[in-house]
Amino acid sequence: MTSQYLNQLHTADKLAAEPWPEDATLYQPYEAEQILLPENASCLAVKAYLKMCNLPFGIRSCANAEHMSPGGRMTKLPFIRAGAFIFAEFEPIVNFVEQKDLAIGSWQDEDEKADMRTYVSLVENIFTMAELYISFRNERVYKEVTAPRNGIVFPWPLSVMQNYSKRRNALRLLKVYQWDDLDIDAVIDKVAKCCETLEYKLKESPDTPYFYGDQPCELDAIAFGHLFSILTTTLPNMALAQTVKKFKHLVEFCRFVDEKYFQTRCLHD
Amino acid sequence: MSQSPRGGSASKDSKYDLSKISARVDRVNVSGLQRTQNDYVMRAADGLFKATNFQDLMVEAMSTKSYLHELGIFKDVSVHIDISRGADATPQGYEVTFKGNEYTRLMGSAGTEIGQNEGSLRTELTIPNILGRGESVSLQGSYSSNRAHDLQLKFWKPFFHTRFRENRPELSFSVFRQTDRYDISSFQTTNLGYLVDFSAHTMLGVDLTHSLQYENSIRDVGLLNKSVPFAIRDHCGPKLASLIRYSIIFDNRDGNVFPTQGVLLKSVNEYCGLGGNIAYTSSTAHGEVNVPLFAGLVAQFCGRVGVVKETKNTTQLPINSLFYCGGPLTLRGFKFGGAGPVIDGTPIGAQTFWCTGAHLWAPLPFAGVFKNLASHFRMHFFYNLGNSNTFSTENMRSAFGVGLAVKLAERARIELNYCVPVRRQTTDNAINGFQFGIGYEFV
Repeated sequence: MTSQYLNQLHTADKLAAEPWPEDATLYQPYEAEQILLPENASCLAVKAYLKMCNLPFGIRSCANAEHMSPGGRMTKLPFIRAGAFIFAEFEPIVNFVEQKDLAIGSWQDEDEKADMRTYVSLVENIFTMAELYISFRNERVYKEVTAPRNGIVFPWPLSVMQNYSKRRNALRLLKVYQWDDLDIDAVIDKVAKCCETLEYKLKESPDTPYFYGDQPCELDAIAFGHLFSILTTTLPNMALAQTVKKFKHLVEFCRFVDEKYFQTRCLHD
Repeated sequence: MSQSPRGGSASKDSKYDLSKISARVDRVNVSGLQRTQNDYVMRAADGLFKATNFQDLMVEAMSTKSYLHELGIFKDVSVHIDISRGADATPQGYEVTFKGNEYTRLMGSAGTEIGQNEGSLRTELTIPNILGRGESVSLQGSYSSNRAHDLQLKFWKPFFHTRFRENRPELSFSVFRQTDRYDISSFQTTNLGYLVDFSAHTMLGVDLTHSLQYENSIRDVGLLNKSVPFAIRDHCGPKLASLIRYSIIFDNRDGNVFPTQGVLLKSVNEYCGLGGNIAYTSSTAHGEVNVPLFAGLVAQFCGRVGVVKETKNTTQLPINSLFYCGGPLTLRGFKFGGAGPVIDGTPIGAQTFWCTGAHLWAPLPFAGVFKNLASHFRMHFFYNLGNSNTFSTENMRSAFGVGLAVKLAERARIELNYCVPVRRQTTDNAINGFQFGIGYEFV
């Protein structure tokens, strides 16, 4: 039996050797009817990152995207299929792209990279947990938005069973990260602190629209993904959106990235 | 004075011809009914009251005893025949009493079960005769060699006491959770749902067994390892199936495992699409013809056909309803599923398949020496043909060989064959050598 490390080394070599395929596809749930807030944020972050790297990709929406996914830490979505490789969630996809030396952020030095990685980790954890909290823990949002959207692709009674098991998994995840016994004010507090940190980072380089220098990097992609999703998703409880709106620089940043890469122009004052 | 039936002595002793002794049954008693309702055993006496002589009386008494066994209420039944006494007794009148011991409230059993190329350990907990008319509730759990465990809660009601007794109608309702592993295709399906089943026999000319089932289940396809072709990964996730299944069996063979003569015809047809989000139709037919030759040799011809079709509601043919051709139970000389289509190196099932086999069964040499033991063994020479996804014989697969078969408990057999594949395709997974198979329906 060859060692696990040798296998990983071989895989890494294989990854670097092949060019980015023409038919790379991103799989996500149906955007209009099915996708939930945390999943939408993750998908948007990956799309922004790939656009920033200038890598072509197609998008395929399927009802069972979550079950097809090879698995991941939090939302398991989106997952990308590039040639024979399949990766799910933001960080593994970023690692995959970096293996191929196609990534942005190669102009950063080691210290800056490590610094950026901690920000990325912070953003992903705090925002994903907050989005899961508001979608699954909040009764009103769950009943009016999350449950009907998640169950729409299944016939009754399968939809009821799927909603039940998805909610149970989300609550279990919140418990692991010790978010389940927080109340909404504590959650808003955490989100506000995170936004404050981001805004401070953004203000550090006032002449450039991005977080680091005048080229985009991972942090730009993931911050955009989460902030934009929170700002543009209408829920019965808009606590998160109102919190983010208070930070004008972050809203401006989202508008800028949207204008440059997506042109959806959904952000209004 | 009670007399036990002396049916055996009638044939030996020509002096007492029991069919000449006229008799009439005045009264039939069935005792030992505690929780069973009286009307359930009412028809037991029908045949007895028609008896006109003593031989008929004894034959009918025996058949009533087996009928009472079938009703599923008694553990054992004993028969007593006595002359009838009392005010309204007729001359040559007899009174027949059936004494039964009802089943206990709770019964348990554990045993092994043979499936198609798998063995499993099964435990069952039954509450027999729960409402007094033969109904039973049973909880069955099985753990199989494929590491798939099943659980089933079943409520069964026979209608043997109605005027349709000849047709043996049965109704059952079960809730089940079952896992099927398709190791060669690296996926598994977990089915959770309920099933309503009605079966009966019809005797119009030939004896046919019919079974009509309605199943409503959640079928969840999951993967068994990480590197699975994308075409299979595409099917992952839960889906709701609502289907109706009709099967018909005609079996006049003289045995299940080593028949020497007779024909078996079996057809199972499924229509899925009465709701839920899976739609397809599936038909399988299996036939077997046995022709006895001289000196204990038997020639056997078997065939099997399966077709899965889309209906107008089909979005995607479910991958777990496809047929696997090849294996010790269908096309010997190939691994299970090794004679079918292959995607990216992984075999998957086919939409249509056919498989035929010709066998020459022979008893073991020197079978006369160990008669009892030797009846459990047979040798056979076989030639199998088959193909997937096409009904033409152009690229068909075939294999021939010789093997030894062992009978297991009147229901299943084990085969150890030496196979030589003759025609195969490049993507096939063939075995040129020994192959082991265990099951109850072979081609």
